[in-house]
Amino acid sequence: MTAPILELDAVSKTFGTGADAVHAAQSISFAVNRGECLAIVGESGSGKSTVANMILGIYPPSSGEIRLNGTALPASRKLEHRRAIQLVQQNPLSSLNPKRSIGASLRLALDVHDIGASAERANLVGALLEEVGLPADFARRSPTALSGGQRQRVAIARALACQSEIVVLDEPTSALDVLVQARVLKLLNQLRETRDLTFVFITHDLSVVRNIATRIAVFEKGRMVELGDTETLFANPAHPYTRRLISAVPVVTLEEAALRSSLAAGLEETTE
Amino acid sequence: MSTPTLDIRNLTLGFKGYTGFTEVLHGISLSVEPGERVALVGESGSGKSVTARIVLGLLQELRTARIGGSVLFEGRELDGLNKRERHALRGKAMSMIFQDPTSSLNPVFRISDQFHDVLRRADPRITRDAALERAAAILAEVSVRDAERVLNAFPFQLSGGLNQRVMIAMALANEPALLIADEPGTALDVTVQAQTLQLMRKLVEEHHTAVLFISHNLGVVREFADRVYVIYKGRIVEQGPTRAVFEGPRHPYTRALMAAVPRLTGGGIPDIDEDSPDFGAPLETHDAEGRA
Repeated sequence: MTAPILELDAVSKTFGTGADAVHAAQSISFAVNRGECLAIVGESGSGKSTVANMILGIYPPSSGEIRLNGTALPASRKLEHRRAIQLVQQNPLSSLNPKRSIGASLRLALDVHDIGASAERANLVGALLEEVGLPADFARRSPTALSGGQRQRVAIARALACQSEIVVLDEPTSALDVLVQARVLKLLNQLRETRDLTFVFITHDLSVVRNIATRIAVFEKGRMVELGDTETLFANPAHPYTRRLISAVPVVTLEEAALRSSLAAGLEETTE
Repeated sequence: MSTPTLDIRNLTLGFKGYTGFTEVLHGISLSVEPGERVALVGESGSGKSVTARIVLGLLQELRTARIGGSVLFEGRELDGLNKRERHALRGKAMSMIFQDPTSSLNPVFRISDQFHDVLRRADPRITRDAALERAAAILAEVSVRDAERVLNAFPFQLSGGLNQRVMIAMALANEPALLIADEPGTALDVTVQAQTLQLMRKLVEEHHTAVLFISHNLGVVREFADRVYVIYKGRIVEQGPTRAVFEGPRHPYTRALMAAVPRLTGGGIPDIDEDSPDFGAPLETHDAEGRA
């Protein structure tokens, strides 16, 4: 049994102090194994983004420890840690610099992390673009000259550029059309396999999670209320909040509707 | 048969730009009967939102827009109305709910003032007290328990779900014949979205309001609409009762769209093309079963 690639050990985050304190994440513990796709699902205010930000080192936990390959991560991350854990955000238009060409954005990642000989880097950029299903000559284009799906592919290429091990995907397809979303999810699945990547997939979309995650952590109001492998969690959700979440998903087929109503049975009608 | 609340016939729309003329709607026809819930479903760029804007008469004010075909609202040709008459329809005979409730409410006025403004459109002499009373009554209909607090609040002091309910209440306050809902609830959490749609459905049923529901979310459409039009690149490609379309989609584009939605029951991510020449196939119409 190999050690988990990423571990969170009683991680908490509190913003503010005294009476105004917000406990955004409360004693979160879980381990992510190499090569898996762990989904963190929850609604707004559940703490899922807070946890993602702590994994990325955007801010340190108020208490608790985050370990990468068994070693505790320091509050201020070293370049090596930042290389290992990369982020793909929801809106690629705002995460890619509009004044830089696609090629320059990718090149920057290679330069910062000193990947490949500098003469080689132009070729590496082309290879990265092809790996995510885009033509190599897209390197000359500006992000604004690309469609949403293409831009998201570029954002994925950038996360891969520095040979990352863990990619935190924060709602990577929720701004995309459904046909485009299917293609991007397919690509992510494929890259996870070929590159032996580990995904932390942050989303509110349970239908997506059902089909891409190996395990699911359900968050509610700063706490992790349930953690289980995808099949088990959908077959037999233990926590009422998980049930409520699944039974609120709008669905397109009768089989899904049947699953949903079987989970909704026994839940009390609640309004906000 | 009664006059449809909304009858769009062979509507075309193009924009004149620096690079020439771009046509975005290539002749779409759709109708909404009184009290009927009709969905227009399509991806971004398909032309669904511009259709709504034409019905509201908003695009007509744009100098670069070229609109053809006809839009009949309760039997009246919208094109024949002048700016003032069109303005008089909006907010009274027809109203709209937008995607993001928090940004469609004015942040510098209290909900009560905004409600008063809305009610004044139908009854210019309504007093503030009468308006507030009416507002509280209709807020109760959308399950807002603490109407007084909500009315006294600014939009940013309320949650997204509450703001959306305020929007629904405002949109229905003047008993419009037609409600246009453009992606309502998309910006909300799933549990809140589900409640919002339930409330909206209950309310339009009780008030017998016709709804043109614009969405990209097939699941939401299935649960809300009586009838569906699928729009792709400015053309309606499939139309029919919701059940018929969802249980037996015929057009290649509709089939692809349905197949692309990840299933709650699992099965992996389907392998489908983002685009295919088949998507240009002609319109598929399902029989209007059970419709008079």
